[in-house]
Amino acid sequence: MAGTGSAGRMERLFWGVGSAIVVLYALIPVAWLLSLSLKPGADLGDRRFVPQAVSLEHYVAVFDDPQFPAALWNSAGIAGISTVAAVLLGMFAAYAIVRLQFPGRNLMLAAALSVAMFPPVSIIGPLFNLWRTLGLYDTWAGLILPYMTFTLPLAIWTLAAFFREIPWDLERAARVDGATPLQAFVHVIVPLAAPGVFTAAILVFMFAWNDFLFAISLTSTSDARTVPAAIAFFTGSSLFELPTGAIAAASVVVTVPVIIVVLLFQRRIVAGLTAGAVKG
Amino acid sequence: MAEIELREVTRRFSGTTAVNRASFTIHDGEFFILVGPSGCGKSTLLNMIVGLEQVTSGEIRVNGELVNDRDPRERNMAMVFQSYAIYPHMTVRENMAFPLKLAKLSREEIDRRVEEAAVILELTPLLDRKPHALSGGQRQRVAMGRAIVREPSAFLLDEPLSNLDAKLRGQMRTEIARLQRRLGTTTLYVTHDQTEAMTLGDRIAVLRGGDIQQIGTPRELYERPANLFVAGFIGSPAMNFLPARQAGSELLLPLGSITLPGENAATIPADRELVAGFRPEHLQVAAGQEECAGGLRFEAQVELLEWLGAELFVHFEVNLAGFAGIALPQELGIESGDGARMMAVARIDPACGVEEGETLALCIRPERIQLFDGRTGGNLRAEGA
Repeated sequence: MAGTGSAGRMERLFWGVGSAIVVLYALIPVAWLLSLSLKPGADLGDRRFVPQAVSLEHYVAVFDDPQFPAALWNSAGIAGISTVAAVLLGMFAAYAIVRLQFPGRNLMLAAALSVAMFPPVSIIGPLFNLWRTLGLYDTWAGLILPYMTFTLPLAIWTLAAFFREIPWDLERAARVDGATPLQAFVHVIVPLAAPGVFTAAILVFMFAWNDFLFAISLTSTSDARTVPAAIAFFTGSSLFELPTGAIAAASVVVTVPVIIVVLLFQRRIVAGLTAGAVKG
Repeated sequence: MAEIELREVTRRFSGTTAVNRASFTIHDGEFFILVGPSGCGKSTLLNMIVGLEQVTSGEIRVNGELVNDRDPRERNMAMVFQSYAIYPHMTVRENMAFPLKLAKLSREEIDRRVEEAAVILELTPLLDRKPHALSGGQRQRVAMGRAIVREPSAFLLDEPLSNLDAKLRGQMRTEIARLQRRLGTTTLYVTHDQTEAMTLGDRIAVLRGGDIQQIGTPRELYERPANLFVAGFIGSPAMNFLPARQAGSELLLPLGSITLPGENAATIPADRELVAGFRPEHLQVAAGQEECAGGLRFEAQVELLEWLGAELFVHFEVNLAGFAGIALPQELGIESGDGARMMAVARIDPACGVEEGETLALCIRPERIQLFDGRTGGNLRAEGA
């Protein structure tokens, strides 16, 4: 039916309009944020969607405050390290679960999932006390650890799904070709699981980058405070002024890296990378 | 160059025995075939030789050295997989260079060997393509190329042609045979296809349910099968089987009786349930009794004809009146009939001009009949031969 006559046209129209609505719904707040960040301070309450005059004063103000660049650096470092560590660990764990025969494989997957089900807010209190005792409070490691804990299950599940799709013969071929198990993993399995690796990386990065709960509870200074937490501490120029413009500008600034990361990695998520590996 | 020797090699998985005490020697430069129906343990045996699977007990020796516990990469054997298993993220060139890079050869040496293999396999124009842009036959050749660039001590091929269409399969079969002769490398080839086994192999080992049934040249297996299974597995169309009884020097068949050469009759124990086997091409058209002197002449009603141009397959029914049905090994896929009648095939000259439904007089000579023990399946005549 698709593509023939009016039925096909209706179908295309349906999907086209549907997608447009979803995209608009998702993007209007972002556009509003962008608009706010570009309005001069006096225009913030003008109730217009498109700014009358464009000004970069809020961006200048945000970067003039030494706390913000520090928070940006913390965010990038913490999210980056969490991503690399979670994906690397997740890769080994997922590979073991998929390839090795050992009792309790499925139990491990289920247990990993249950970690992700745990409501983070319920462990904040104990974690706060624990971290203060251990000296992890207000450090990078203090945030990286919980981020990894909550994203590892996701990484393991995503990667396990991708590893399952890779023909086992490829690995056996690599072994016969003279590769050690590690070489076979690095040269053959990982490149083929690349879409999975990037998917997992994006998910982990976004979790760590966007997290507010852990960041606000487990940090106190610009030593480890990430951007979402730092924005909450913005102050206006006087007691009676809300720093709306600065918050909008900072929000735009933190959104940009996420968009860049997603666009960058999305290119690598090529479907059907394993096509042509086996059979004719 | 290598001589591969297996001594009592056994492989057990939780409770089941995949390979049971396999012993044989593949001589240096030999083209050796492992053939058997699916699930007979032939791939397991191959995997043990290349080192992808552990040996439960027994010894595998290469040039006299025990290799049981050696890693695959220390065995210097190249393998071609049924699925080809070429790396999809690498070009043809990178695929073939991969084992050489792992062996840390110099760039020039790698390039030289890859170019050389590409010429042999006619892959030169495809070197910079990715596998997804190749046809099935080309992928197969890349897999072969990856094996030969290494100049390994042995080639192991696991059903390399079973994913190709019939025409290409025939073509690649000849190519593999030529390649093996040219390189003179010890080759172990696993297949379930008896035609491939017969045409390619210097020697063949027939496997069934993890047990080696017989090892020999294609001719030996064809003319003197050790048992019912080998007899039914080798040859196409399959050998005809009928129940039989011994009465003095006479052999009683549902088709009639026939006198066996004296020395054979003596070796067959009386009152034994027998299975007689004869190949379709050993049935001849005999218009009169005089054309079948010393043999058994019988009339067959033609049920179905298969005309292949150069040959004609005549399918006919044999009434088992007075004989019990026989049990044939299941894996053979030969219909044992309903206990009252069995199907048989004759391969004759198409020039005889027979039609479906007609009656045809056929002749079988006593020396063409194989006799098997009905219970054990062992060949009773091969022992004397």
